[in-house]
Amino acid sequence: MTRSFFNSLQSEWLKTKRSLATWIVLVGAFFTPVIIIVVRIIYHDTLATSYASPTFWATLWRNAWESIAIFLLPMGSILTTSLIAQLEYKNNTWKQLHTLPLSLATIFFSKLAIIVFMLVQFFVLFNVGIYLAALVPYLVVAGVPYPTAPIPSDLFVRETLLFFLDTLPIVGLQYLLSLHYKNFLVSIGTGVILWIAALGSLKWKFGFAVPYTYPIFNYLKSLPDNKIAAPLVSVHVMAVIYFVVFVGVGFWLFVSKREKG
Amino acid sequence: MLTLETQNLTHRFTPHDIAVNNVNLRVEHGSIYGFLGPNGAGKTTTLRLVLGLLRKQEGSIRVFGDLFEQSRLEVLRNVGSLIESPSLYGHLTARENLVVLQKVYRCAPGRVDEVLALVGLPHTGRKRVSQFSLGMKQRLAIAVALLPQPALLILDEPTNGLDPNGIIEIRELLKHLNQEWNTTILISSHLLAEIERLVTHVGIINKGTIMFQGTLDALRSKQQQSLQVVLDTSNPDLSQQLLHQQNIAATQHDGKLILPSLPKEHLAAINQQLVHHDIKVFEIGIVKNDLESIFIDLVK
Ligand SMILES: Nc1ncnc2c1ncn2[C@@H]1O[C@H](COP(=O)(O)OP(=O)(O)OP(=O)(O)O)[C@@H](O)[C@H]1O
Ligand SMILES: [Mg+2]
Repeated sequence: MTRSFFNSLQSEWLKTKRSLATWIVLVGAFFTPVIIIVVRIIYHDTLATSYASPTFWATLWRNAWESIAIFLLPMGSILTTSLIAQLEYKNNTWKQLHTLPLSLATIFFSKLAIIVFMLVQFFVLFNVGIYLAALVPYLVVAGVPYPTAPIPSDLFVRETLLFFLDTLPIVGLQYLLSLHYKNFLVSIGTGVILWIAALGSLKWKFGFAVPYTYPIFNYLKSLPDNKIAAPLVSVHVMAVIYFVVFVGVGFWLFVSKREKG
Repeated sequence: MLTLETQNLTHRFTPHDIAVNNVNLRVEHGSIYGFLGPNGAGKTTTLRLVLGLLRKQEGSIRVFGDLFEQSRLEVLRNVGSLIESPSLYGHLTARENLVVLQKVYRCAPGRVDEVLALVGLPHTGRKRVSQFSLGMKQRLAIAVALLPQPALLILDEPTNGLDPNGIIEIRELLKHLNQEWNTTILISSHLLAEIERLVTHVGIINKGTIMFQGTLDALRSKQQQSLQVVLDTSNPDLSQQLLHQQNIAATQHDGKLILPSLPKEHLAAINQQLVHHDIKVFEIGIVKNDLESIFIDLVK
């Protein structure tokens, strides 16, 4: 079991080569950092003071995450997950995959593992991007000091982990949908609708019940007057529960499909 | 020994529409089995059932002597397949497509180039499969089926989209695999003529039901039985009467008589007798029903 799972992982990883999903991860991870760098270079005269500020890293962290947490991370996860799963429908390859000597569990979970791995890859690259957003202006613009405040690495690691957990329900539901429906508009469409629903339910008392709200909640919690309804329970726990449920239901649907390809 | 055996395999996509009806396939070890039938006969459905791509509803499937559902992984490890249109990743190259599968089958990395050479597709380099011609895709799909050095090869219309040369090449390749490695091959087609020179056994399916199953020789002897003699004379009515007196069943068709095949001597005697009765004999001919027309008779 473990050996064929490992082989299947290798095989699934090779399939992502040159795929659109890989590009989305790369572009998504460096999109905001590049914008921050460009803006800083344009307004370079304010840099000397901000680089000397004790809250330099915390401010940078917040700026970098804004568009990511609210828009790019949910959308990117919706697209990437759907694209990876849809690879088999698009190429008409389910029938080949299902005639390989692999158990259904191996097929299902190795593909999911690759998607989760790409999510991890995104977070790592994004952290690198944030660091570069601090470093590049310092190297390029004369007279800008290296940030005096130490890098709050525990904040970076903790928040990254929380964002990771908070994104899992999106991955879980998108995976379920895009394995189950041949037409990828179903999964993308549902994803977009749920994301809009998430945006609309932030002020609602039970907004935390909407599974796509968690990265947004996690971002907004750090803003001073965020006007959101404080979730009644830990959104991270909710996220993990949703993920487990979505994956469980997804696996059950996958196994009970009458036509495998 | 039977490599593949199904018992009363039956499948319905909708409650009233029976796509496969009590099919008992018997594919012998080391044989090349031609699975023939017109469009919509149920060939692909049968093969998908055999590979577990469709959930089995009724009947049983044994491959290498074991029940499929009980030893699915072991069976699939030794089966190569190509079902309908090629199933390939368009954004990858030919080699990459094969490496994706080689990882799972755990065959030697050298096997990838081996099968590419076997199907006549060695030099496609960095070209993506989405830019391949139909025939190139088909060849690659055959390479995919050959990759695990399968003991049983299941090919659903593998020569679809190949040029005449390609068809001959693939036929030779399959013969070679069968002789060299004793690979059992199950191959489907619409055309008997296309696989007549390849197969040892034939199964003919129509509307979900097997109409004939046996060796190619058994099908040929059916052909022998269907030889007929045509007799064109100046007086067909009298001729028919004379023949009936000798207990020869003759029927009239467009003013000609059709009778069952008879020995040469017997035909000569009939000729003499007719002439003796002042009947002019214009033609004595033998109608040879080819395999194709037997096939067409079976699926009518
Ligand atoms: N996925 C499906 N859903 C519903 N009906 C189907 C499906 N696939 C096949 N059928 C029906 O089952 C019957 C047998 O189809 P099948 O594809 O097995 O024929 P075939 O012998 O392979 O034909 P062809 O030579 O055209 O490939 C047809 O009547 C077809 O309409
Ligand atoms: Mg078919």
